[in-house]
Amino acid sequence: MDNNADEVVTSEAQGSADTEGKGKENPQNWQRISPIALIYFVLMFIKNMFGNVIYIAPAILIGSNKVNENPGLWLPILYGFLALIALSALLSFYFFQYRLSNQQIEIRSGVFSKKYINLPFSRIQNVELTEPFYYRPFGYACMQLDTAGSIKQEAKVVAIKKQFAEQLKHQILAAHEQTLATPQQDQSAQQEPAPAPKEVILDRRNLDDLVIHGITNNRMWIFVAGLAPFIDQISSELGRWLLIIGFNVEQYFEFEGKSGWQIATTSLSLVLMIMIPITILSIIGSIIAFHDFKLSKSGDRYIRRSGLFTRNEVTMRLSRLQMIVRQQDWLDVLLGRINLRFEQSNANFSQTQPGQLTNKIVVPSVTRTECQHLIDDAYPQNQLATCQFKRVSRRLLFRNLALCLTPLIVLAAVIMIKQQGNELLPYIVGFALFISLLVVMRYRRWGYCIDDNFIYVRKGCLGIDYYCFPIYKVQQTSYKQSWFLKRKHLCSIQFVLASGAIDIPYLPEKIGLDLVNESLFQVESSKRNWM
Amino acid sequence: MNTNVENEFSNQQILQPQIPSLSAIEFEPLSPLYARTHRLVVLVRAFIILLLLMVVIYQPFVELPSQLNIALSIIAAILTTLNLVNYVYVYFADPKKQYALREQDINYQSGLIFRKTVSQPILRIQHVELKRGPIDRKVGLANLQVFSAGGAMHTFAIPGLDYEHAEYLRQYLLNHRDLNQHG
Repeated sequence: MDNNADEVVTSEAQGSADTEGKGKENPQNWQRISPIALIYFVLMFIKNMFGNVIYIAPAILIGSNKVNENPGLWLPILYGFLALIALSALLSFYFFQYRLSNQQIEIRSGVFSKKYINLPFSRIQNVELTEPFYYRPFGYACMQLDTAGSIKQEAKVVAIKKQFAEQLKHQILAAHEQTLATPQQDQSAQQEPAPAPKEVILDRRNLDDLVIHGITNNRMWIFVAGLAPFIDQISSELGRWLLIIGFNVEQYFEFEGKSGWQIATTSLSLVLMIMIPITILSIIGSIIAFHDFKLSKSGDRYIRRSGLFTRNEVTMRLSRLQMIVRQQDWLDVLLGRINLRFEQSNANFSQTQPGQLTNKIVVPSVTRTECQHLIDDAYPQNQLATCQFKRVSRRLLFRNLALCLTPLIVLAAVIMIKQQGNELLPYIVGFALFISLLVVMRYRRWGYCIDDNFIYVRKGCLGIDYYCFPIYKVQQTSYKQSWFLKRKHLCSIQFVLASGAIDIPYLPEKIGLDLVNESLFQVESSKRNWM
Repeated sequence: MNTNVENEFSNQQILQPQIPSLSAIEFEPLSPLYARTHRLVVLVRAFIILLLLMVVIYQPFVELPSQLNIALSIIAAILTTLNLVNYVYVYFADPKKQYALREQDINYQSGLIFRKTVSQPILRIQHVELKRGPIDRKVGLANLQVFSAGGAMHTFAIPGLDYEHAEYLRQYLLNHRDLNQHG
């Protein structure tokens, strides 16, 4: 099997396409994907339709009014709709073809607007295998190929045998290594393009970890994203269900003639009533996303596999890693758990939905030691655990306090002058204290630290996040100084990385300037590639 | 032998390579045409918006509800104030915009109260664009846009360059050794 695949990819291209040889599948010819992809296309069609529901909503509204007048039309419309879905899926399937030849992959797709993608293996930066649950019984997978850079070009082979996909992935990544590798270490690679290095499992997540992750991090979005089109219906239905089980919402909020403790218990139970289902959903969401989580390393590649229904596999070369984020929410701080994120370039992923986890490798709810182990594995020289963070200037605290409290003070003053509703004042004071607490916490979290290779930034509010990136990966710097800051010899700086921007506010002018100069110097003199 | 060695011997202190500093950069101004045209554009745009609102308010054809009229007048007043503030800001801020090309990076400084210096190392550049709107073409100016992997949010841009000079800068960036090796 392995030999076969080698032959396929390394041998010369055979000119133009023959018609599809159904009996013996030769990937050098244009070929269709497995018919299993029909399910995928149907789902994509439905998903796209819900995505555009805003645009077709008026049509639906008018249409449904018309149809309600003579209900006999419902059935034909339903059939027509189903036929439309089936037809579109069939056409999409029919026009989706791909071909492998001469170290490149070509994909033709599209029914009305034709799309043709030609992607040499050496340009492919990232291979992602997804196994949607409806593919898993049949052993198929989606293979997404990403290129780096600002040019939007990515390709997806919608349904491909999983074994073949794995082989292809090895080939592609091996091809990439060949173009990069220095001549001296390349001898074995030339003879056998894919002697896959052994995979070492770095981390696994068990069910209890995922439950903790669900509690500490809101993973509700997995449901929310899927349910978005139905949210209105659900909320109206919910009220009805509650009535059925003998719970009258309106009566519940009747505060007239109730004592203080009654109101307090009411609101407490209300909070619990909302929080408990959310937490449960969040735990389920966490399990769906991260079930059987495995982070492994093979050579210089990190591989993340997880998912309950849809198995998702993300591969990232160590050189693609732009930044390590060590993230703790306040609950994480209490429980001593950490979410570790390996971030890579996000240039290609602007289209994906916020809920998707694709381009990051997230290791959910690891313990402190595990986290340090993983960070050290990726960046052995880093000193995140030991470095001394410097505080930013206290003026940031004063500015933010002034910004947040001024509107409240004005509000309080207005109320005082008008002399009505003095009982509101304690609430305003309480709120102001709460805001001040948050601002102070936020200020205390700010910190930065630098060593020869890395810049570390600490920030957060109730939680605490650490960012760590190699200096030579910086894409762009900016040095900001307002007139007021200049007088106090302070400045703010920003580092733009391929994975996003990192700010350090209100640090001494000299240190800020040195940081910017130093990082520009490292980028420009080392001439190391950022990917 | 011994004397020979002694003659060649020298033990000067080796200083660390001096890191070039951002604060030592001599910035160059933008084209003098830029501030003038930009001011004019701001003014004309404000005038057109105001004119449109006035036309809607005072047109004799349709009787508008009085509440709508009041709302439109308030909007017109707010817009006029904002545009005036903007005009004053632009008047003082535009001459402060400047750029500098170094061997390894390109820098742009802007802002009146909040000064900001953006530095883009040339070897991280992914592609370069010249952008010219109709007014830019009329007066012979160009915007230089430099894209890195930092994403569209962090596009490095210098407005108001003379077209020929912008073209030269673009060629310089594209011909840069690092760009061709690491692009």
